[in-house]
Amino acid sequence: MKLQRATFLAGATAAALLLSACGGGTGANSGPAADVPGADGKGEVKGDIAAAWWGGTSRIELTNKVIDMFIAENPGVTVDRQSADFAKYFDKLNVQAASKDLPCVVQLQGRQINDYTKRNVLLPLDPMVESGAIDIADIPKAVVDAGRGTDGKLYFLPYGAAYDAVGVNTTLAEQAGVGTLSEGYDWPEFISYLSKAQEKMPDGVNASNNGGGRPNYFIGWTQANGKKLFNDEGKLGFEKSDLTEYWKMWEDLRQKGVTVTPQQSSEEPTAPDQSYLAHGQVMSDTLPGNAFTPASKTLSGAAPGQALTTLPYPSGPSGSGNALYPSGFAVSANCQNIPTAAAFINYFTNDLEAGKTFASDNGAATNTKVLDAQIADPSMSATKKHELETYKKIVSEDPPTIVFPAGYQSVFENSFKRAYEEVAFGRMSVDQAADKFFDEANAKLGQ
Amino acid sequence: MSDAPAAKELTETVRPESLGTITDDGPRSARQTRRPKSRIMKSKTREAIAAYVFLIPWILGMILLTLGPMLYSLYLSFTQYDLLSDPRWVGLQNYTRMFTADPRYLKSVAVTLVYVAISVPLLLIVSMLLALLLNRNMKFLTGYRALFYLPSLMGASVAIAALWRLVFGAQGLVNQALAIFGIEHGSWVGNPDDALTTIITLTLWVFGSTMIIFLAGLRQIPKELHEAATMDGAGAIRRFISVTIPLMTPLIFFNTLMGTIHAFQSFTGAYVVSGGTGGPADSTLFYTLYLYQRGFAQLDMGYASAMAWVLLAVLAAFSAFFFWTARFWVHYGDER
Repeated sequence: MKLQRATFLAGATAAALLLSACGGGTGANSGPAADVPGADGKGEVKGDIAAAWWGGTSRIELTNKVIDMFIAENPGVTVDRQSADFAKYFDKLNVQAASKDLPCVVQLQGRQINDYTKRNVLLPLDPMVESGAIDIADIPKAVVDAGRGTDGKLYFLPYGAAYDAVGVNTTLAEQAGVGTLSEGYDWPEFISYLSKAQEKMPDGVNASNNGGGRPNYFIGWTQANGKKLFNDEGKLGFEKSDLTEYWKMWEDLRQKGVTVTPQQSSEEPTAPDQSYLAHGQVMSDTLPGNAFTPASKTLSGAAPGQALTTLPYPSGPSGSGNALYPSGFAVSANCQNIPTAAAFINYFTNDLEAGKTFASDNGAATNTKVLDAQIADPSMSATKKHELETYKKIVSEDPPTIVFPAGYQSVFENSFKRAYEEVAFGRMSVDQAADKFFDEANAKLGQ
Repeated sequence: MSDAPAAKELTETVRPESLGTITDDGPRSARQTRRPKSRIMKSKTREAIAAYVFLIPWILGMILLTLGPMLYSLYLSFTQYDLLSDPRWVGLQNYTRMFTADPRYLKSVAVTLVYVAISVPLLLIVSMLLALLLNRNMKFLTGYRALFYLPSLMGASVAIAALWRLVFGAQGLVNQALAIFGIEHGSWVGNPDDALTTIITLTLWVFGSTMIIFLAGLRQIPKELHEAATMDGAGAIRRFISVTIPLMTPLIFFNTLMGTIHAFQSFTGAYVVSGGTGGPADSTLFYTLYLYQRGFAQLDMGYASAMAWVLLAVLAAFSAFFFWTARFWVHYGDER
């Protein structure tokens, strides 16, 4: 018995060692080799690929349609489809990346791209562009550049460019007698517009959602005021005093009752088409430009007769506060079928029919021909056209491309919301919260 | 620890079979007469081998799925590991950072301790009261028992946790009910002072298995003891304190231990109710939720592993201490 136990233990230890050896092996990373066959995306388009994207029901439906069309055009190709809700999507990707099992084609944004480029789990697309497997001729250069990592290589090809807009419930605004904001309005104008509107808001309705905990509003504010968001090391590039100024602006509005309470903020559903703005409970809020159509649809059900519009972000001394947030597909380093992956990306981004089917569901089509075809399409809804035209206007003003350091989404965004929450609930002063945010963000950003 | 009885059982089951094999195997009588002692030894070894063959699936599962990953996570806890590149050895850095440079870690410890300290005793009291209620003769008793168990089947599910957001929301059922009595209250899940309470309430729903164990215990208490106590003039409360409770201590011990361990590891409720953030203002940042955030969202798997090992150590220490206290208050009936 004793002997057997010893044998058992020895076996267990051996197996454990073996396991940890395996585990160590998976972590080993040779990095994407540019000279592997097919890295230029040339070759036969057939066989299996897996494709992953985030989105709700309608996005899943539309993406599936485009995939079906791609398969119909390329007999012999099969696509394993993986989709998830935005927040859960990245947790899943991280696990897949850890086990070298990323789908061939992965949807990403600039906000996360450097989490992956830093760890060599994506293939640079530049060889595929050079070989002609992926065509970028019809995409504005500034938009293509949003797909580049901190090393300057292209890692994802933006197919849709989202922008942030100020959503305004025009019905409530008219009832309050404040009308519409003038072209090129700035932050002080915006703030007084909201304060004035609050005086005549119906019971239980606020003129604005609370923007203090909204990273995107803050980014817009820094752009308009000529502040730098990140420095070259990927750490915070603005000053603590900038942040406290921004938070004090919102705290002032909150204390005057212009914004919703912190309890309401923490209870609000995260999907833009389920937000308070979409339910007519606030007159204005920041809204992803491409959420205008679904939010309008919700509002027509929740508060019949009310209408929304979207405006570009407030301007400032340094110009417009708009930035672009393109999404696109990347190719994983563990992909075994690069030619098909490249063909898929090219099709999804550049094909006119594919673009028509997808209907700029995830930001305006980046391919200008695809975009113009959609604007000219008489079957396109008025709200969708408004989204696309606002996009064209924003792009014509040459918006900056923000390079987001690794850890932006998981650290910056979450810390930002949490720190402001502490202020709004009265648990910390603005200065304490800014200290907390700077500590947390700088400890992890850019690593 | 648990493999010993299982092995024994299996050995017994396979005995006839292995004997049969031996009989077919060769001239048994000749062997028996020549070397009876070694034949017994051999058969014992064969039995053992057969037992281990049958145990292989379980042993493999244990090594590959539990023990191996656990040991690997112990190794990872001494490294900086971002899931995507090689782990880098950093010694005790993760452990020291936890206690010296991570306010959110300490916050998660505080939230979890409050949760354990409130939810476990409440759960025990609720389960015990319901078990007492159901331990009597009345019509449809089994029906009631099944009904009372029902919430436990659903309470742990994500669907109910998601429903909780609505029940305790600003316009939720709870507030509507309070409004009838003229009490006005804002959102419960949206308020850092109340959010934890809603999760504790959610936990209390899952009283079923604890209640069933108590109920089984109550059934075991000999009627004579209660009768004797009644004869001596003891009232219901006196009998509960002096007869029921002492006889129930082994089960109270078991339920407290299991309940505490579960409560320390609680995750789903907080994850769903707070939408994965642990908010508002970190008020529902459970230990395991923070661990999950560090490991899978912030790609800090080394740190998350270290957190897991600290939790394991705390649970082990708690269990050891609790077992030690048992000698002073748990009565197994065979004493004296």
